Amino acid sequence: MRIRCPHCGERDNGEFSYLGDATVVRPDGMSASSEAMHDYVYLRDNPAGLHRELWYHGAGCRSWLVVTRDTRTHEIRDVSSARDVALARHTGDAA
Amino acid sequence: MTTMTLKRSDADVAAEIPDRSQAYRVVKGGLVDRRKLLDFSFDGTSYKGFQGDTLASALLANGVHLVGRSFKYHRPRGILSAGSEEPNAIVELRSGARREPNTRATVAELYAGLEANSQNRWPSLAFDALGINALAAPIFAAGFYYKTFMWPASFWEKLYEPMIRRAAGLGHAANAPDPDTYDRMHAHCDVLVIGGGPAGLSAALTAGRAGARVILVDEDFKLGGRLLSENQWIGSQAGVEWAAAALDELISLPEVRILTRTTLFGVYDHGSYGAVERVSDHLAVPGVHAPRQRLWRITAKRAVLAAGAIERPHVFGGNDRPGVMLAGAVRAYVNRYGVLPGRRIAVVTSSDDGWRTVTDVLAAGGQIAAVIDTRRSVPQELRRAAESAGATIITDGYVAGTRGHLRLKAIEVVDSYGGAQSIACDCLAMANGWNPIVHLDSHLSRKPVWNEHIHAFVPAAMPLGMVAAGAATGHFTLADCLATGADVAADAAKECGFERKLYPVPSTEPESAAHTPLWRSPRIKGKAFVDFQNDVAATDVELAHREGFRAVEHLKRYTTLGMATDQGKTSNLAGLSIMAELTGQAIPSVGTTVFRPPFTPVAMGALAGHHRGKEFRATRHVPSHAWCEENGAVFVETGLWLRPAYFPRAGEKDWLESVNREVNTVRSRVGICDVTTLGKIDIQGRDALAYLEKFTANPFGSLPVGKARYAILLREDGIILDDGTIARMGENHYVMTASTANAAKVMQHMEFCRQWLWPEFDVQIASISEQWAQYAVAGPKARDTLRGVVDPEFDISNEAFPFLASANITVGGGIPARLFRISFSGELAYEIAVPVAYGDALWRAIMQSGTPHGITPYGSEALSVMRIEKGHAAGAEINGMTTAADIGLGGMLAKKKDYIGRLMKDRPGLTEPDRPTLVGVRPVDTSKRLRAGTHIITLDATPSLEADQGFLSSVAYSPSNGHWIGIGFISRGPQRIGERVRAYDPVRNEDFEVEICSAVFVDPEGSRMHV
Amino acid sequence: MSEATANVWAPRSAWAGYAKPGRHGRTQGDAGVRLTLRDGIALATVIAADGQTDALRALVSERYGWTLPEPGKSQVSRERGLVWSAPGQWLAVAETRDALRELPDVFRGIAAVTDQSDGRAVVRVSGPNARTLLEKGVAVDLHPRSFQAGRTAVTSISHIGAQLWQLDDAPTYDLAVARSFTGSFWSWLTEAAAEFGYEVEQGSAH
Repeated sequence: MRIRCPHCGERDNGEFSYLGDATVVRPDGMSASSEAMHDYVYLRDNPAGLHRELWYHGAGCRSWLVVTRDTRTHEIRDVSSARDVALARHTGDAA
Repeated sequence: MTTMTLKRSDADVAAEIPDRSQAYRVVKGGLVDRRKLLDFSFDGTSYKGFQGDTLASALLANGVHLVGRSFKYHRPRGILSAGSEEPNAIVELRSGARREPNTRATVAELYAGLEANSQNRWPSLAFDALGINALAAPIFAAGFYYKTFMWPASFWEKLYEPMIRRAAGLGHAANAPDPDTYDRMHAHCDVLVIGGGPAGLSAALTAGRAGARVILVDEDFKLGGRLLSENQWIGSQAGVEWAAAALDELISLPEVRILTRTTLFGVYDHGSYGAVERVSDHLAVPGVHAPRQRLWRITAKRAVLAAGAIERPHVFGGNDRPGVMLAGAVRAYVNRYGVLPGRRIAVVTSSDDGWRTVTDVLAAGGQIAAVIDTRRSVPQELRRAAESAGATIITDGYVAGTRGHLRLKAIEVVDSYGGAQSIACDCLAMANGWNPIVHLDSHLSRKPVWNEHIHAFVPAAMPLGMVAAGAATGHFTLADCLATGADVAADAAKECGFERKLYPVPSTEPESAAHTPLWRSPRIKGKAFVDFQNDVAATDVELAHREGFRAVEHLKRYTTLGMATDQGKTSNLAGLSIMAELTGQAIPSVGTTVFRPPFTPVAMGALAGHHRGKEFRATRHVPSHAWCEENGAVFVETGLWLRPAYFPRAGEKDWLESVNREVNTVRSRVGICDVTTLGKIDIQGRDALAYLEKFTANPFGSLPVGKARYAILLREDGIILDDGTIARMGENHYVMTASTANAAKVMQHMEFCRQWLWPEFDVQIASISEQWAQYAVAGPKARDTLRGVVDPEFDISNEAFPFLASANITVGGGIPARLFRISFSGELAYEIAVPVAYGDALWRAIMQSGTPHGITPYGSEALSVMRIEKGHAAGAEINGMTTAADIGLGGMLAKKKDYIGRLMKDRPGLTEPDRPTLVGVRPVDTSKRLRAGTHIITLDATPSLEADQGFLSSVAYSPSNGHWIGIGFISRGPQRIGERVRAYDPVRNEDFEVEICSAVFVDPEGSRMHV
Repeated sequence: MSEATANVWAPRSAWAGYAKPGRHGRTQGDAGVRLTLRDGIALATVIAADGQTDALRALVSERYGWTLPEPGKSQVSRERGLVWSAPGQWLAVAETRDALRELPDVFRGIAAVTDQSDGRAVVRVSGPNARTLLEKGVAVDLHPRSFQAGRTAVTSISHIGAQLWQLDDAPTYDLAVARSFTGSFWSWLTEAAAEFGYEVEQGSAH
């Protein structure tokens, strides 16, 4: 399996480690209910098809990445910098 | 060769005694180098062959057909094929440390001195005592493992398994370390061409001429594929000449890499491929510094699969008799190797190309006994050569059985009227059509589909970037191979950004690939094999059908069809077709199993490469490593690190005595310990503090510059991730340590927080683990010792540099250093860090400076004893299941900030009052030794899961207390100080009284750290 | 401080105890690979503060005449310059330790600087088989169509984290691995280089 790191280019999957769902958003720990935090920590969809997921390029530039992967074929549709995705989301929250 | 005492005529014996003068070698022709005569041996008998032979062709040249015994029934087996699909001719090559079992004689290149032995026979190949298994065939039928060895269960390990292992044909691995090295190479290309036959050569030429980076891989030692084995013309050149010219042109193209003797064994996602190159397998011993094999990891934008096809055997009685071969293999031995596999050769064919065998054998001076075509009508022009040679020709007939013992003597033929006759022959060539090699394109779970036109499975949806050509797609004629190879390669090159350019395809002779396969002879005399290597007979498929194992996946597992090392290359379809017939379905309805890597067996050595023995994984050395080695340290592996465990001195009788001495010295004088293995992380930026507050569970807002503090990190689920210290080195500058085991995990977590959770923070994180050597200097004389190395302008007195102080200093006359007053041992202690290049120097300087104070180096053992004496949690306590409250640190957690794990640490399960909590334990009888993992139960309890009240996580002999001590998790532990309970260890059969006590066994007030 | 203790304070090479200068491996013909141990090299991680990348770019250009390399690129001339190593992060490289000593002060407020000079073992790999040698361990495509002088890759070699940057078209590479791994890395490198014959030489010292 190969992942095109937006910073380093295409690399072998041995350079990356997998975390999981990139669609869940951490609620603020001071204001969230424990139920909301529970859902964030434990509840995951398991789609057959496109899945946005977090990968870490640990043996490369140490960037966290949001990889859009088809769980049925392993086809990778998109790889983005997780920081850029998070910043855009935060900007979106503010707007 | 010894013969056995079976009753046979002298003539029989003579026919079976191998002729050692290459009597079956054709006078001229073939691609072997007749000037290079090679000596080799098989089962201790010497033979001769030529350079360019395989072991199989050389054996056949000497009239040797019997090369092995079969897996279950120990039936005599010969050479079926001339390629990597070989199921029968599996031998042990070489001897001693290089002995290599399960090698296919059909692909083993002959070299001078080659030594081969048959497998799976005892006492000899000709007389195999276990041949009696054949008589017991009914118990070895499909599913025999499940039925025969069910009970009693205790018999399995003691009797059944050893018996099966001895009887089964697995060969013998070398029992000495492999003396050879195995290399690895990464390669990248635009177009990978798999297979160097006509389609592959045509593809490589097309892509190479376009300027693409091309890698051409072929498992053979000579390029050309079937061109080497058939008498075919391309334009005005013989096929072999055309292949040689193609090779010359490919070599001239700078961006084309040709890998022969290289098997592409696996297809992986996104254009990744695995291949193994047999660099030195054709030599007795690899050259100096040359590897035995090389593993290639190939990344290709496009791949052209031109792997060709495998011919199908017929299923009839005794189709496994030595001398029964695939027709294409017979032509390979005749045309490529100049060997006639028999004196009188019969051909059974269901395809037009089977008839080529007749022409080629006759041209080589061989005799054709008969041709049996299973089809009703056969074009007149095919029959002509056989007719003029006077061969018996039978159409609409079939072979029902064979005769002979160790070698084929005759075939039992049934003609279209049902009349049976026996035809004498010593070799039978089977042509039942070809199966495209769909293994590689199904490695990513893509099922091949049935092509009615060619009666075979062909690739369906190919993996992304992969396309097939030639016989691998069912295009069997030479013209089609050349054309499709060029066509798909032109597309592939274009997709890689090169011009799509097609060159005229050279002309070829008219050719027919017409065939109508006969899946199973209507009448069968004797055992008819479907899978030769796993001894699966047609009757086993019938049995599976009767017993309900009809689905293709069940059929495979119940009969082991297709599960041998050859993955059923010659057998799968035969099995499926019989099941289709029995269930009254079409073959595509039965379906097919898919294949997985590797295509052919790959040596573990090739996969491991450099990484074996002590190089199995990388080893990290601490900065004091050289000194520790010089001074006789005993090392221990902790993760990748090699750490000094203890430093034995002359006269110490065991490790415990050394460790006790180290602990006592630290507690009474001073010691030094290399703690460089801790993770060290530099944190800077305007928002460094805000960021730290988010991922640490205890508060840091009040930490002033020049101070350090213990830090607890939680996971989001409330469990402790790790602990360490954080020192504030400047206004916006912190240095943090993480535990040795969790260093990488903590760094990853910090990047996750910085990049994903809180990207708006201005914070810069850098690992400085490798930059700084860090040593703990501990004991009452620690300060006095450090005064000898710290430059005099820095005041390290207790007043100027109290407990938990931190500072940038210099040592040794201006070398930058960092000093932290932190203590793991509970003594007056420091951790001092210098750039690693000075790590060795600092260690030696501290040893020198500490000598008047009685300094000792101490290792990870004494470190561990002292932290247990102080009740500090480490890896055994921070074990991925415990909370801060569990280790007694719940009170430290921040109340007024959000941090990772804040909410989830209060989940009901984690806060219930009975939860086991960290306390100490000491034996009532102080002579008793405590054991980690021991369970705690009450004095009157009957041991049971319900009675379990906790366990000991860490134990040590405490020289400070003079007896064993332990810390562990006991239900409501802190409220039960002084209570007596039982330490119950069913593993070691121990059960004695202990007392629950404080986890701090030394200096409970903590005053020593502050002096 | 006495003469005797002063002698204790000598730096130790990352390669000490592992690498031996001289010709090794295949003995016939010229060495296919030259391995130059770069002990004196200075390295520092430079991480731009949030929103300060442009300021950093201007500063390095004005003060040192360097350009801030784009991802995957390096700008090293006369043994000094910057090598990209992560988003917003570069490795400053110089031939001597002194050359980078001022960086933390110069970049204050614009970038965080951490000294890594001792944290990496650096070897220069050159010679006719240099690329083939590295291809044994590097999964990144080093073919001149994909990777040229001025390119860098942060990757792993033989399961050991490594960064390499190509210096010229010969090609010559500088290769840095974490210092605690030097022994294991050297073991791999020399086994891989043995078939070409290799020459080990000491580069500039401290």
